[in-house]
Amino acid sequence: VSKKWYIVDATNMRLGRLASTIAYYLRGKDSPMFTPSLDMGSYVIVVNSEKVGVTGRKRTDKLYRRHSGRPGGLKEETFDHLQKRIPERIVEHAVRGMLPKNRLGRAMFRKLKVFKGGDHPHGAQKPEPLPI
Amino acid sequence: VLELAKGFRGKKVHRIARDRVAKALEHSYRDRRRKKRDFHKLWITRIGAAARLHGLGYSEFMHGLNRQKVELNRQLLANMAILDPDSFKSLADSVSSLPPLKVSLLMPFFLFF
Repeated sequence: VSKKWYIVDATNMRLGRLASTIAYYLRGKDSPMFTPSLDMGSYVIVVNSEKVGVTGRKRTDKLYRRHSGRPGGLKEETFDHLQKRIPERIVEHAVRGMLPKNRLGRAMFRKLKVFKGGDHPHGAQKPEPLPI
Repeated sequence: VLELAKGFRGKKVHRIARDRVAKALEHSYRDRRRKKRDFHKLWITRIGAAARLHGLGYSEFMHGLNRQKVELNRQLLANMAILDPDSFKSLADSVSSLPPLKVSLLMPFFLFF
């Protein structure tokens, strides 16, 4: 089974909704050959990830948290801030939360390629636009 | 009963093996039932995916199939979607070409409010 490559332009797409469909394709649920025990999903390239959107006051209010493992090591960051710092991570974080959290899930996650800006080095795979 | 604890990792001493074999038998009992559920779920997912390729969803597809005088397709024959996509397509087409049900059938739902 050869895997397909898709590309999505995140510009002005709603974060969660976009992530949800990406996870769907990453898992391979669009194909009747779906097999839960293997990773037969498609590759997804996300482009312009810094332009992804959220509604309401999330832009300034949504918090991303991470813990360094040390006591007192909880660090918060707002969406706004993270977007300026490492925009790719926003999309990655969203999609990762929607994939299964096991070895297979991690492998699926590796099929996601997120870029800021409009270009990507995978021209050779001739990705098709993701049906949304 | 001799321990038929073949293939068990390191637990081939009678005392320990006895418990492990009991557990293994419990698992197999339970999972024989689970297996039926698991496959059912898989078939539904696959039917749904295949139906979407033809512009329908699992629910619409099955509804259409039922309307055509109970097409007892039984999920397993949604292996058809993989091995014989042309037959699956003709089933999907027969569903899409059904006339829509009349709106009056929705009345009972509204009476709940």
